[in-house]
Amino acid sequence: MTTWTAPVVDRQHKAKAGDERTMLESLLDYHRATLLTKCAGLTAGQLKQHATDPSSMSLLGLIRHLTEVERGWFRRGAAHEDLDMFYCSEANPDGDFDDVGDADAEADYANHLAELDKVRAVAAGLSLNQTFTRNDTTFNVRWVYLHLIEEYARHNGHADLLRERIDGVTGE
Amino acid sequence: MTNWIAPPVDRQSEPMTGDERAMLEGWLDWHRQTLLGKCAGLTADQLKQAAVEPSNLTLLGLVRHMAEVERSWFRTRAAGQDVSRLFGTETNPDGEFDDVGDADAESDFATFQAEVDLARQAAAGLPLEHEFATSRAPAISLRWVYLHMIEEYARHNGHADLLRERIDGVTGD
Repeated sequence: MTTWTAPVVDRQHKAKAGDERTMLESLLDYHRATLLTKCAGLTAGQLKQHATDPSSMSLLGLIRHLTEVERGWFRRGAAHEDLDMFYCSEANPDGDFDDVGDADAEADYANHLAELDKVRAVAAGLSLNQTFTRNDTTFNVRWVYLHLIEEYARHNGHADLLRERIDGVTGE
Repeated sequence: MTNWIAPPVDRQSEPMTGDERAMLEGWLDWHRQTLLGKCAGLTADQLKQAAVEPSNLTLLGLVRHMAEVERSWFRTRAAGQDVSRLFGTETNPDGEFDDVGDADAESDFATFQAEVDLARQAAAGLPLEHEFATSRAPAISLRWVYLHMIEEYARHNGHADLLRERIDGVTGD
C-alpha cells in the first residue's frame, strides 16, 4: 500500500452563453472535473468501497468506467481508432466496475487523465455533424458530446451518494 | 391513504443524429421519462423513503424538485413569466425535499406532468440564442438552460438509480 490520495482538481465554471461547441465542451469538462472532485482526498481503500450496497459501484469503478466510455465513444467510435478496451472484454464486460478490488488506484487515475488528453486531441478534429456507425446505428458527434455529458452527470449522481456515505462530504 | 402507485412510462429513445434543437429536446425528454420510470410501480410510502441515508433524498423529493426546476428555468427565467414557486419559499427554500412526509404523491406527480407541459410551451417560442439575466449571471442563453436541464436530470437520475435499488432492488438505465 502507498499513501497516495486522489488529488484536488481545479474545476472551471460552466459557460453560461456562447456557441454550441463552446458550451458542450465547457459542460463536459465541468463534469469530468466533478467526478475527480468527488474523489479528491480519498485513499485507494476508500475509492474502492462499495458504499451504497447492494450496488457494486465504487468511485474507482466510476473512474475506470468513464475512461472506457471516453475511449469507446470518441476514439474507437467517432474517430475509428483500432483500440482495445482497458478493463473490459467480451468475457468480462463489467471489468471496469467488478475488478476494482485488485486494481492500482493511482495507476487507474493516471490512465484516466492520459485518456482524457488523447480524447481532447481527437475530438478537436471532429465536427458536430460528422456521423459514424457503431453496432448498426448511426450517430453524430453532437450525440457523443450530449451522451458523455449525461453519462458523467448520471454517474456523478452516483458519486454524490457514494462520497456522502464514505466520509459525509456533499456538494455540487 | 389511497392505493395509488406511480404509473409506468412510455420512454422514447433520443435521436442519435439530427440538429441541435431536436437532440437537446430528445435528450431532455428521455431524462424526464427516466425519472418517472425510476418511480414506476412504487407506492407513495416507497417514494417518500430516504433510502440512501444519511442523504435526505427521496424519489418523491426528486420529482417535486424537478417540477420546481422546470418552472424556474423555463417559465420564470427564460420566458419571464410571473409565477411563484411550487413547493419552496424564501423561509423554506428546500421545501420540495424537506416536506415530502406530508405530501400527496399523486397530486405532486400531476403537478410535475403539468409543469413539464407548461415548460415545453414556454420554450417552444424561443430560439436557443435567447438570453436573459438573473441575479447571479448577466447573460444566460436558452441553449444553456437545455444543457443544464439535461445534466440536472441526469445527475438526479443517478440519485434515483441508487434510491430505487435500495427500495426494491430494481436497476437499469
